[in-house]
Amino acid sequence: MNFKRDIATRTYSGFAIAALLILTILNILLQIGPPDIQRAGDQLLAMSADDGVANAVTSVVVYFRGFDTLGEIAVLFIAALGIGLMLSAHNRTTHEESNYILKKASRMLFPMIMLFGVYVMIYGHLSPGGGFQGGVIVASGVLLLLISREEFEVPHSVISALETFAGISYVLIGLIGLLVVDKFLGNFLPNNISQMGMLFSGGVIPLIYIVVGIKVGSEMSMIVQNLIQRSDDD
Amino acid sequence: MIEALFNYFNQEYVIRALVDVGSMTLFFVGFFGLLTQRHLLKIFMSISVMEIAIFLFFIGSIFNKTYTAPILGDGHTAFVTMNDPIPHAMILTAIVIGMAVFALGVSFAIEYYKLTGKTDINDINEMREK
Amino acid sequence: MTGIIILFSFLAVILVAFMSIIQKSLPDAIILFMGVGLGAVVLFFVFQAPDVALTEAVIGSGISTLIFLMALKHLKAEHEL
Repeated sequence: MNFKRDIATRTYSGFAIAALLILTILNILLQIGPPDIQRAGDQLLAMSADDGVANAVTSVVVYFRGFDTLGEIAVLFIAALGIGLMLSAHNRTTHEESNYILKKASRMLFPMIMLFGVYVMIYGHLSPGGGFQGGVIVASGVLLLLISREEFEVPHSVISALETFAGISYVLIGLIGLLVVDKFLGNFLPNNISQMGMLFSGGVIPLIYIVVGIKVGSEMSMIVQNLIQRSDDD
Repeated sequence: MIEALFNYFNQEYVIRALVDVGSMTLFFVGFFGLLTQRHLLKIFMSISVMEIAIFLFFIGSIFNKTYTAPILGDGHTAFVTMNDPIPHAMILTAIVIGMAVFALGVSFAIEYYKLTGKTDINDINEMREK
Repeated sequence: MTGIIILFSFLAVILVAFMSIIQKSLPDAIILFMGVGLGAVVLFFVFQAPDVALTEAVIGSGISTLIFLMALKHLKAEHEL
């Protein structure tokens, strides 16, 4: 059947389907009483107290479920690869000059943004934050530089080298853990419980998160550069 | 009067019902947008709104007023009466992957526009058999 | 007190999302979509989840909106249709 999306049919059918589904789902959800939740997190919090890391979410992302983070980095890599494949074939000629206020203000803002991004990346195990958030903040700093200067291009070889180094060292840390402690991504650096709350604590966990942050930051910078358009005729 | 209103909304089952109803309504607002919009970018935006609704539902259904954030500091020295950190980690991963897939979809739309010049979903019919 | 904040935040998020989908001009829709992300950040903060709130703030307001605006410039689309 040829369901063309003209205005009257699509509006009424959209409303009808949405109302029907709302009523069904609400009918199911509101009949369940407050559930008796058995939390897996209780045992995890008790185990996390032996690791010496103050942020429980960091220890779950990097240590207890570190293999899922490896998969997520792979997905990000494939997405950046696809975007670079499709969009980098257009020539980018720079014609227009950017705003005067933007140029002067970005000189003051750019170091602050990079400093904040690196701080969030490094203190991921002591306060909310971590590799993903810090990497995206660094990429938005690079974006500020891209739109305020016409002649700036992120150098391809540097980004390539950073990303490769970060990806290889993640797997290398896992393999070294396999050799030393008999667990992939095991903790082989010294981590005392008396060090909780200090910068050097938690063994290999801050190292892994910094590596993740470098990889995510460089990938997002390449995505942003591929998407930006410099001239009006393309 | 205001006191009674505040105290009514602070109860356990009212907050749980509020989270369920609110996030499901947001999900179906996005679903309605997915069904009835014609521009490609609007469709991607509706999918993103649906994802945000699912994240809110997830985090809201383990919320309990007596638990605090799962981070030590500000006087806490032990991991007791804290929130569950496993759903937080899963939603973190899901947010990042949702953003990556969204960027990829947008780049497909840009390439298609550069190839044929159409952004309306009704006009994309190269593979339809006549 | 948390119940009232959750109620008003949900109302705001639903209203802004609905207005963003109905808009005719695309740049307005994008700015309202950023408002949805910010409302979600407030809700995540009330639900005692600071990591998720920080991630949603950075990605929803920083990168997602940016990607959308750059796509708009490529597609040369100011109005729908």
